[in-house]
Amino acid sequence: MTALISIQNGAKRFIKGRETITIFDQLDMTIEAGDFIAIMGPSGSGKTTLLNLLGGIDRATSGSITFAGQRLDQMNEGQLSTWRAANVGFIFQFYNLMPALNAARNVELPLLLTSLGSGERRKRVETALKIVGLSERAKHFPREMSGGQQQRVAIARAIVADPRMLLCDEPTGDLDRKTADEILSMLQLLNKEMGKTIIMVTHDPEAARYASRVLHLDKGRFVEQVAA
Amino acid sequence: MRIFNQIIAVCAINLKSLPQRFWLSLSTVVAVAMVVTVLLSFLALAAGFKRTLDGTGSESIAIMLRDGSQQEVNSVVALDQVRLIGEAPGIVRKEDGNPLVSGELYVIVDGVRRSTGLKANLPLRGIGKDGAALRDGLSITQGRMFEPGSNEIVVGEGLIREFAGFDLGSEVRLGTGTWKVVGVFSMNGAVFESEIWGDVTVVQSLFRRGSSFQTVRVRLENPEAIDLLRDYVSNEPRLKLEVFSEKGYFAGQSSNTVSLIQNAGWPLAIAMALGALAGALNTMYSSVASRSREIATLRCLGFGGFPSFVATMLESLVLAGIGGVIGSLGIFLFFDGFSTSTLGQGFTQIVFTVSLTPALVKQGIVLALIVGLIGGFFPALRAARLPIVAAYAQG
Amino acid sequence: MTDFSLILANLFSRKLRAALMLVAIFFAFLIFGVLAGVQNGFNNIGGSAGENRLVTINKINFTQPMPIAYIERIRSVEGVARASFANWFGGYFQEGKNQVVTFAVDPEFYLDIYATDYRLKPEDRAAFMADRTGLLVGAKLAERWGWKVGDRIPLSSNIYTNRNTGKQTWDFTIVGILEPAQENADTSVAFFHYAYFNESVSFGKDTVGWIVIETTDKALNTDVSKRIDAMFANSPAETATDTEKAFNQAFVGQLGNITLIVTLVVGAAFATILMIVGNTMAMAVRERTKEIGVMKTLGFPSARIFKMVLGESLLLALLGGLPALAAAALLLEMMRASVGFPGLALTLDFTALGIVIMVALGLLTGIVPAWNALRLNIVTALGRQ
Repeated sequence: MTALISIQNGAKRFIKGRETITIFDQLDMTIEAGDFIAIMGPSGSGKTTLLNLLGGIDRATSGSITFAGQRLDQMNEGQLSTWRAANVGFIFQFYNLMPALNAARNVELPLLLTSLGSGERRKRVETALKIVGLSERAKHFPREMSGGQQQRVAIARAIVADPRMLLCDEPTGDLDRKTADEILSMLQLLNKEMGKTIIMVTHDPEAARYASRVLHLDKGRFVEQVAA
Repeated sequence: MRIFNQIIAVCAINLKSLPQRFWLSLSTVVAVAMVVTVLLSFLALAAGFKRTLDGTGSESIAIMLRDGSQQEVNSVVALDQVRLIGEAPGIVRKEDGNPLVSGELYVIVDGVRRSTGLKANLPLRGIGKDGAALRDGLSITQGRMFEPGSNEIVVGEGLIREFAGFDLGSEVRLGTGTWKVVGVFSMNGAVFESEIWGDVTVVQSLFRRGSSFQTVRVRLENPEAIDLLRDYVSNEPRLKLEVFSEKGYFAGQSSNTVSLIQNAGWPLAIAMALGALAGALNTMYSSVASRSREIATLRCLGFGGFPSFVATMLESLVLAGIGGVIGSLGIFLFFDGFSTSTLGQGFTQIVFTVSLTPALVKQGIVLALIVGLIGGFFPALRAARLPIVAAYAQG
Repeated sequence: MTDFSLILANLFSRKLRAALMLVAIFFAFLIFGVLAGVQNGFNNIGGSAGENRLVTINKINFTQPMPIAYIERIRSVEGVARASFANWFGGYFQEGKNQVVTFAVDPEFYLDIYATDYRLKPEDRAAFMADRTGLLVGAKLAERWGWKVGDRIPLSSNIYTNRNTGKQTWDFTIVGILEPAQENADTSVAFFHYAYFNESVSFGKDTVGWIVIETTDKALNTDVSKRIDAMFANSPAETATDTEKAFNQAFVGQLGNITLIVTLVVGAAFATILMIVGNTMAMAVRERTKEIGVMKTLGFPSARIFKMVLGESLLLALLGGLPALAAAALLLEMMRASVGFPGLALTLDFTALGIVIMVALGLLTGIVPAWNALRLNIVTALGRQ
């Protein structure tokens, strides 16, 4: 397997008042293409910050981040936007759908950043909704759907542009056990069948079981464990 | 009693949080203030004009114009007719037994407005020797009355205020003659304060009017005597004149201009008020949204929905009320008493001062409160019906 | 879906708020449109006011008459192409309140000079020339009273007395209808022969109210004015000559400062609307902070989001403003029909100005929220720290 994304000697520090808070320092990690990684750790361990760095929505204080040979830390904001649009799908704890748009249009959103024609876009949206099993909900607005359904729309939105990597931040944190299991199975399927590399931050040990590898982050250090 | 205490408590909490919504609240206040300002500026203009015309004229003075002429400037009255009027019953006579009557000439001349430097029509009135005695409330405030037979004139205080070149002692060219301003008169703000007066015989000769006049003015023994005068005039074939009481004549001049100004003012203010209402509703809906957690917390503590309704309404009314007061105050400070002039029906300028009356302020405040009332009502309903759980969803 | 439909969806995500803002903007531009139309009406009082047209009046005031002999002397002045005159008749029909704007005119030259304003059938013109008691009535006036060619009608004067009858009424035969030859022509007027007037009035004989002059070239206007006024200097009736446009505007100026009132009211309305819309837009964008953060996360470039937010406020201004201008045009049309005030219309100039103001309003209210959206940091927006 080849490395898809890696961090070398990564550091992230915040300046808060007169204090400098170090989230992590000298962090190294490599994630291979096709991996399904769960990152666990207590609150404040830097899980979300790490995910932000991997997704190119935040910058490391120092160190390099490489995605398939490209240096993210050397890109400007515009280049990062383009890179995200092409390579990353995001799934959030609170779904973050656009309340003003129906399910189909929410899913279509990332395709506005491609050069695809409207016919092709529609086909892709249909496929993505079919994958998450929500074809018949295409015209519904977020407020008309349950949390699980909203999260499935969010997954459809994350995969519609066919990115190589999915970043999930507590994707089941707001869902009941049964729905959470459905969502996690779906992620597992996307990993196995479609070869998506998935990095998921979670509190939930049950959720972490779906991953192929679990990383424990504590005080900015990894304690690696292989999933059972 | 409990509900009353609740209302007070909720209102207090609400008003204390107003500064957090400062800019949005300010926009409502400003919007309402603008509406009231526009409304009151129009109404105060109309009221000022109306007050000038209504304040002019007495019930016991009669004026006569040629039948059908409607305005002094159109009228023609011959010397013989003036003499015939002198024999009419019901009019006051002087001690020597001669009638108190003034045949007058009304000529339009050009004046220059102080504010814009533009020309405007001014009335030059030639009055008889009894003319001054036929004007109630007349007082010479500067200088003296003109000498009969001379080219001297006296000018009204209003005219001097608005038009250049008529200051006491100055020489003015009106028509083909040069006149000297020897006095300034006031007449309780009446229309006459917008006029220039000279001796009628001099005006007749300088404007080549021969011995003709335009109006006749007499003093009645009492207001009812006007009927005697009317009978006399209609039974005398040589007098094709129309008889008005002075008060009635000027009141009739007011209606058109006043209704024109009011007709422009109200639709404008209402259109603006609808715009402001949109703003007020917006402000109040977001106020309710931003307080939704606070409202829900109070509901959890056992407060009812009604106090939240009252508090929201109160906030809206307070904001609109402040706007109304600011608007009225602005007009009062910067516009009330402002002197201006417009073309009257007699085709000459009438000088008047803008007059903001308490009745107008009341109209302005009422409009403001209506905006506040409607702007608060629907958001207040939403506040009252806010589901308690909703405030806790999605922290 | 396009960026535009995204803007639309965002704008109407809170329907009530959007509707309220649209209402506010609508009324602001309705006020603007109507007042602009009224202003245009005042600017155009008295018709087209040809550029080489002068008006001579008595220097004392335009209500004072001048001797009729002046007309021939003026016609001989160098630079005068033709000259005509008119007298204010103070006309009304049956009752004093039914005012009819009536001029006693020097027929031939008057109709020639005002051919730019009034269209008259050649046969009607010939009939008018042939009939001393003929009356030409404007289309609007004819419509108001249901008059048609051939009707015999009495018109009364609130100034003059008919020497032949001792009354203030003259009898006329309507011989032609004046159709407007251009948009701003006022067709609520009536013209009759000065000769008919002059032979029957009991006073005011051989005097005219004003003289209208056409110069051979508008460049000569000033010279001609000076020559005419110099000619009558130190006479019993001195004259003041100016362009017709200046004369008309001076007349309107007597009513008070219309432009100032219009500007102040429109200004007040706009300041109000600007505050309301600006504040609400800022609030709406602030509420969407998280959504904008998500859009950026998905890879939407900041510049594109900036344009979308700005586009939203622009769209709002146009959606509220354009129908308002259309409504104003309609309202002015109705007012023009009922009041009979020509020139009461939304001109292209004012429409363009209105649209410019809309764009300015849209940019002004959107710029701060758009800038904030542009600068928005994703991590902060999503509350992910």
